[in-house]
Amino acid sequence: MLDAIKSYLSSNVTPGEAGSMFWATIYVLAITIGVSLAVLSMNWLERKILAHMQIRLGPMRVGPHGLLQPVADALKLLIKEDVIPEGADKLVFWLAPVIVMMAAFTVFIVVPFGRTAAATDMNIGILFMLGVSSLGVLGVITGGWASNSHYPLMGALRSGAQMVSYEVAMGLAIISAVLMTSLNATGTGALSMIGIVQSQASQHTWFVFKMFPLGLIAFVIFAIAMVAETNRAPFDLPEAESELVAGFMTEYSGFRWSLFFLGEYTAMLAVSSIAVTLWLGGWLRPFPNWLSGSAWDFAFSLVPGLTFFVLAAMCFAGTARMPRIPQLKAQSIGLAGFGAILGAVGLLLLVPGVRERSQDVFWFAAKVAVFMYLYIWYRGTFPRYRFDQLMKVGWKILLPVSLGLLIVTAIVGVRQELWAALTGVTR
Amino acid sequence: MSLNPLLRKVFLVDLFKGMGVTFRNQSENERVTEQYPLERPEIYERFRGQPRLKVNPDNGESLCIVCNLCALACPEQLIVVTGERNPVTKRKYPVKWTYDLSRCMFCGLCAEACSTDALELTQDYEMALYSREGMVLDQEALERGHEPVRYAR
Repeated sequence: MLDAIKSYLSSNVTPGEAGSMFWATIYVLAITIGVSLAVLSMNWLERKILAHMQIRLGPMRVGPHGLLQPVADALKLLIKEDVIPEGADKLVFWLAPVIVMMAAFTVFIVVPFGRTAAATDMNIGILFMLGVSSLGVLGVITGGWASNSHYPLMGALRSGAQMVSYEVAMGLAIISAVLMTSLNATGTGALSMIGIVQSQASQHTWFVFKMFPLGLIAFVIFAIAMVAETNRAPFDLPEAESELVAGFMTEYSGFRWSLFFLGEYTAMLAVSSIAVTLWLGGWLRPFPNWLSGSAWDFAFSLVPGLTFFVLAAMCFAGTARMPRIPQLKAQSIGLAGFGAILGAVGLLLLVPGVRERSQDVFWFAAKVAVFMYLYIWYRGTFPRYRFDQLMKVGWKILLPVSLGLLIVTAIVGVRQELWAALTGVTR
Repeated sequence: MSLNPLLRKVFLVDLFKGMGVTFRNQSENERVTEQYPLERPEIYERFRGQPRLKVNPDNGESLCIVCNLCALACPEQLIVVTGERNPVTKRKYPVKWTYDLSRCMFCGLCAEACSTDALELTQDYEMALYSREGMVLDQEALERGHEPVRYAR
C-alpha cells in the first residue's frame, strides 16, 4: 500500500493514467474542497470588489473587513426554513439544484490544474467538459418548471434559450483552438485537456497569440460567450431582478438555493478554466520564451510563495490601520491571525519539494482568478442587455464571426499545403 | 456608418472606458461611506443641532434672563419660558423652561434672538429616541447638554 502511494508520487502522470483508485479519490476530494473554498472566497471577494467599484465598503462587520461574512451567510442558509411550494412538482423541484451542482462539479474531473494535478486525462476532455457543463441548463429548466410559478418559468425559458444559443458560438471558438493543436509535425491534434496545454508548450506560444489575431478573436468570442453561458451580468436575464424577481431561483430558499448558488459559481470557475486551458496556456508559467533559462525558472517558482507574502503583508497593513478602539480588538487580532496563516502558506510554498509540485496549480489558479475578477468587473460596470439584444449578439454577431474565424483558421493552418496544391508543386 | 463609430463598436471602446471608470472607483480616495458609530462624520461649525442653555461657569447661574425673545422668535412656538425676579440682584431667572425638540426644525432663530447668548444650537446630532417622551427638554436637560442614548450590544 505504502509502496503504491510512494511509487505514484514519484511518477509523472495523473491518477487516472496510473490507474490508482486511491489517488483518484484523494484528488477528487481535494478538488471538491478546493472548489468549494474558492466559491466561498469568491462570495466575499465579489461583494467587496463590487462594493468598492460602487464606492461603498461592502461587508465590514462580520469578522475583520467582513472576512467571515460568507461563513455567516452559509450558516444562515442552512438554518433557514426549507420551503417547497404547494403546487410544485416535489421530485423535480428537489432534483433541479442537484443537477445544476453535479453538472458543475463533474466538469472538474478533467480540468488540468497541472501536469499531474488532474483527476484524469480523458482523451476527449474538452468535449466532456462542454457536454457536462451544458447539462446545467437542464437543471435550470427543470427548476423553473417544477416551481409552478410564473417568474421561475419565464426565467428558465430565457435561461434555456440563452445558454443554448451561446453554446454554438462557444463551441465554434473552441474548435478553432483545437485546430491549432494539430499544427505540429505529425498533424494530429489533441482533445484532451492536458494534451492541449502540452501542445501549447511544444509550439512555444499560448493560443491567444497564435496566428495573431485569429487566436485572440477566438478567445474574445469565448470570453463573451462564457459570461452569457453562466448567466452572469450583463447577460443575467434569467435572474433579472427588476423583471423576474430572481428568475428560476424565485421559489427556492435555504439549502436548495445555496446549491444553485454553489453550482453557478462552480460553473463560472469551470468555464474560466476551459478558457485558461485552451488559450492561456493552462498551468504554464508566463513568458516561457522571453524569460527562459533555469535562473528564470527558479525566479518564477518563487512567485507563489511571494504572492502569499504580499497578501499577508496586506493583512498586517490592514491590522495596523484599524482604529485602536476596544470594540475592534478582536477583529484586529483576527486579521493579524489571518495574515499569519497566509504567511505560513507562503513559507510552505517556498519549501523546495512543495514548490516544484505546487507551482503548476498556482499559475492555473492565478489565471482563473483573473477571469473571476473580470466577471466581477463586468458586473460592476455593464448594464443588463435586453433579451432581443442578447439574441442579436449571439446569433447575428458571435455565430457568424466564430464560423468565419473557424474557416480562416483552418485555411491559414494549411496554407503551405494549399499553396503547393494550387501551384501544382508537390512536396 | 462611417469608419470611426464602427471601429469604436468593434473594439468595444466604450465598454473599456466604462470598465476604466469602475476600476478607478476602487481607489480608497474615492470612498465616501463612513463606518458610522466607529467613524464619525466631520461636523461643520455652523451646523445647527441639539439646543443647549449656557450657564455662567463662575457661579453656575443660568445666563437666561427670561426676556422671552426666543419664544417670540420661534416659528413653531415650541419654547415656553416663565421666570421670576431675584429681589436682591433685580435679575430675572427662569423657573420653567420647555423646549419641544420633536417639533423643532433647527432654524436657529431662537439662538439668534437671544439677547444674552444663553441659548445656542450645538453641533450634536444624535437626537433620535424610541418615543416622543424624552423630546420635551426642560431647563436641567438643556443645561446638561447632549446625552446620546448608548445602545448596549
